[in-house]
Amino acid sequence: MSNSDNLFKYPEAIRDDFIRTEDIVFRDGSRVTAGEVWQYLTEVGPVKYPNIYDTSNYYGGKISGDVKLPFSLKHNYLLLTMDDRMTKAKANGVPVVFVQGGQSVDPYYAAGGIALRPASTGIWARQKEEGLDLNQEQVRSADVKEKAYRAISFEACNTAGYEHIQEGSLPVDMIAPFSCLRCSDVSYGLEAHRHGKRKDVKLFLVDYPMDHQKDKEWAVRYFAENIRRLIQEINELTGKETSAEDLRKEIKLHNEGRKLAVEIADLWWSAEVPPTNGKDRRDLFQLGGMEVHGDPEATLSLLKEAKIYIEERVKNGIGGYGVQGNPARIFVCGSCVFPNEYRTEEAGGIIVGNDNHWSDITTMVEEEGDPFYNLSKAILSYPYEQAIKERAKWTVEQIKKSRADGVLFLYCWGCNTQSAVARALVDEIKLQTGLPTLIIEHEGRGSEQLQNRVNAFVEMLG
Amino acid sequence: MALKIIDTIKKRLEERPNELIKARKEGQKVVGWQGYNIPEEIIYALGLIPIRLGVGGDDRLVEIGARYISTKNCVFCRETVGLFAENKDPYIQNTDFLAFDATCLQTYRTAEILQYYFKKEIVILGVPRNFYWPEAKTYFTKEVEYFTQRLEEHAGVKLDSNKLAETIELYNLTRKAIIKIYDYQATKERLISWEETYDILQAGYFLDRKEYLGLLEEVLEELEEKQGRPVIEVDEDEARIFISGSVIPPGDKKLIDIIKEVGGRVVGDDLWSGLIPYLNVEIEDYTPAGIALAYINRTPHGALPYLDLETDRRIIRMKELIKSFKAQGVIYHTLRYCDPYTFKAKETKDVLQQDGIPLLEIHTEYAVSDFEAIRTRVEAFVEMIKNKQ
Repeated sequence: MSNSDNLFKYPEAIRDDFIRTEDIVFRDGSRVTAGEVWQYLTEVGPVKYPNIYDTSNYYGGKISGDVKLPFSLKHNYLLLTMDDRMTKAKANGVPVVFVQGGQSVDPYYAAGGIALRPASTGIWARQKEEGLDLNQEQVRSADVKEKAYRAISFEACNTAGYEHIQEGSLPVDMIAPFSCLRCSDVSYGLEAHRHGKRKDVKLFLVDYPMDHQKDKEWAVRYFAENIRRLIQEINELTGKETSAEDLRKEIKLHNEGRKLAVEIADLWWSAEVPPTNGKDRRDLFQLGGMEVHGDPEATLSLLKEAKIYIEERVKNGIGGYGVQGNPARIFVCGSCVFPNEYRTEEAGGIIVGNDNHWSDITTMVEEEGDPFYNLSKAILSYPYEQAIKERAKWTVEQIKKSRADGVLFLYCWGCNTQSAVARALVDEIKLQTGLPTLIIEHEGRGSEQLQNRVNAFVEMLG
Repeated sequence: MALKIIDTIKKRLEERPNELIKARKEGQKVVGWQGYNIPEEIIYALGLIPIRLGVGGDDRLVEIGARYISTKNCVFCRETVGLFAENKDPYIQNTDFLAFDATCLQTYRTAEILQYYFKKEIVILGVPRNFYWPEAKTYFTKEVEYFTQRLEEHAGVKLDSNKLAETIELYNLTRKAIIKIYDYQATKERLISWEETYDILQAGYFLDRKEYLGLLEEVLEELEEKQGRPVIEVDEDEARIFISGSVIPPGDKKLIDIIKEVGGRVVGDDLWSGLIPYLNVEIEDYTPAGIALAYINRTPHGALPYLDLETDRRIIRMKELIKSFKAQGVIYHTLRYCDPYTFKAKETKDVLQQDGIPLLEIHTEYAVSDFEAIRTRVEAFVEMIKNKQ
């Protein structure tokens, strides 16, 4: 439970250095200075959202404490201001579209929308209530989720934001996820919205073809048509036309983000001492998806700045905050769940990479030629969405680059399509790398059972 | 009073595995398939022997299957994997290669697991989720044509258009016969029950299709002779139940036996393992493309999301069937982790409530531990329907 004694406080000693760092530049051309970010993080944030500042190690989302990484502070700022920024965007007529995580969002932004994945939508929804401590916030979140379970099924994992959009009042304009194998629940969660109260929310499925899809010309063309139609649907909300050139421009922007994330990962993995802790690493790598903040330009400015700091740390052998000496390096595969990085680090491990929210980032889009076709071809090439051996081949490459000592496969209770291949994928990885592996199933929220298993795995890796 | 021909069908089913062994020795190939959109006509027209794989109701095989696929997959998928892991079922032993479709994503994953662990050769058919778009129909047509090419490679022959036309006629007649038998099972005379009809329907997935049509015609002859034209009317003191929801494969008798035991009478279904694939198959062009269009225009499988409740053809079809079979209540059967149907249970209940049709969801697996709990609920449901009359 949060109280003023266990809330995180940014140390005044870093203030002067921090406020000299880069501004965050937003998509609409506005900017915020580092000084303004500092003021928000130290004065506004703790009052509005004390739960985010809770310092308990049992809270996996807590602020990392690596206060000398400006990107980390700015990332927190962008998350803490999600409601303010979305409210502003909505007032300016920008539609917000619910998507699934781990998919590229280039076409949504090209069409003038904002694409928010489930986690970002959840953050936005949580910020509708201020002043809650961690316990109050977690009870509230569980209550809200229960509403979706009642309306859909208790076996649902991803409910496509039903609890916030249909049962709550989150002003999402459209729900339009990809239907890929990463998450099967999201398609049925999308379908469930048809019986919800809100009839003004547009529903659209971006139909992801299966089985050697990237090698079939007709599948690539079909998915390109899905992208075209998606953009048309968003155009109906904005009242504007999106050209092929708009999409090409957006692809270039997102490619820049993807490329930077891959370069940062290569740097990070090359370091003798992990240059950040696991939480900052995950946040940083995921920025390459350009979707976590609901503002790709803002995300890109963080990536650019972060790269300089990571280069510096790697060069000087500076380790991340809270990372133990010579930690057991773990690569995480599977669906959208994660262990508590802080407690993994306490146990002597560190998570060095993951396949989810990474496969899409490592897939560059060809910039010359038909942008619809190119984007379709790239999306259908996500390694995560390929058959077991092909997915494993790519995963093994990432594991080797990350110099992992062991591999975890985690999936959420009720996740049919990732759980189905968990055994086969880790068997193939084991065969290719000889590394120890462990499969863990758990519910979305952090649990002691999950962490016990992870910590035992870390201990075994020794 | 059971029909004489039903015993003949049972006997032929017992003899079928040995026939397959013999046929394979003579050089014929057996294709084990699973899914909703596999165009069986093409398999048959190529001289391959189609056998739909998958049984239910065996918790031991589910347990074996879960060692390869996960416990978070539906029991039907787990049991399918268990069948291959154990490799004792004669139909599993006697398939040369497999054909699976991607209608249900868990079926698609099952195919991946069978490829990976049991080194099975599998031809996979992609299925569009935005199936009602013209572009999706083009995609599916291309998939079926590619599927045909791959089957031709396995068969070692090219698809002959005359053979395909003959096969389509054969399957059209089969579909018509099954629809007629379904009408008989719902009549007052009860010369044939839904359970027997369902078993006859399942037999078609194992027997030779030509012989099967002959057997269906004999069933109809016997029915017409004894009863004349079928007229569906409600009998007094009946609880007429319509079954909807997840797959009920051969061997999964738990729920059906309970309904019967507590005095309910099943009079119809819209199961993808039951009547629904036989309805509205209108093949205009006797080519793989023509078959593709006819299949994708049928009543859609619940695994294909449809985003407008009012115009959902699956729900419209279910309501029509409930009406034509004069059902008084729906038992909506969902298997654990069968998301396509489980996620729609409450919605379906709400939709049917508007028409005054009560719905009971039974969420279950193949284990018998919930037998009594299900019986209590079904018994109360049946009693409620009877009391409403």
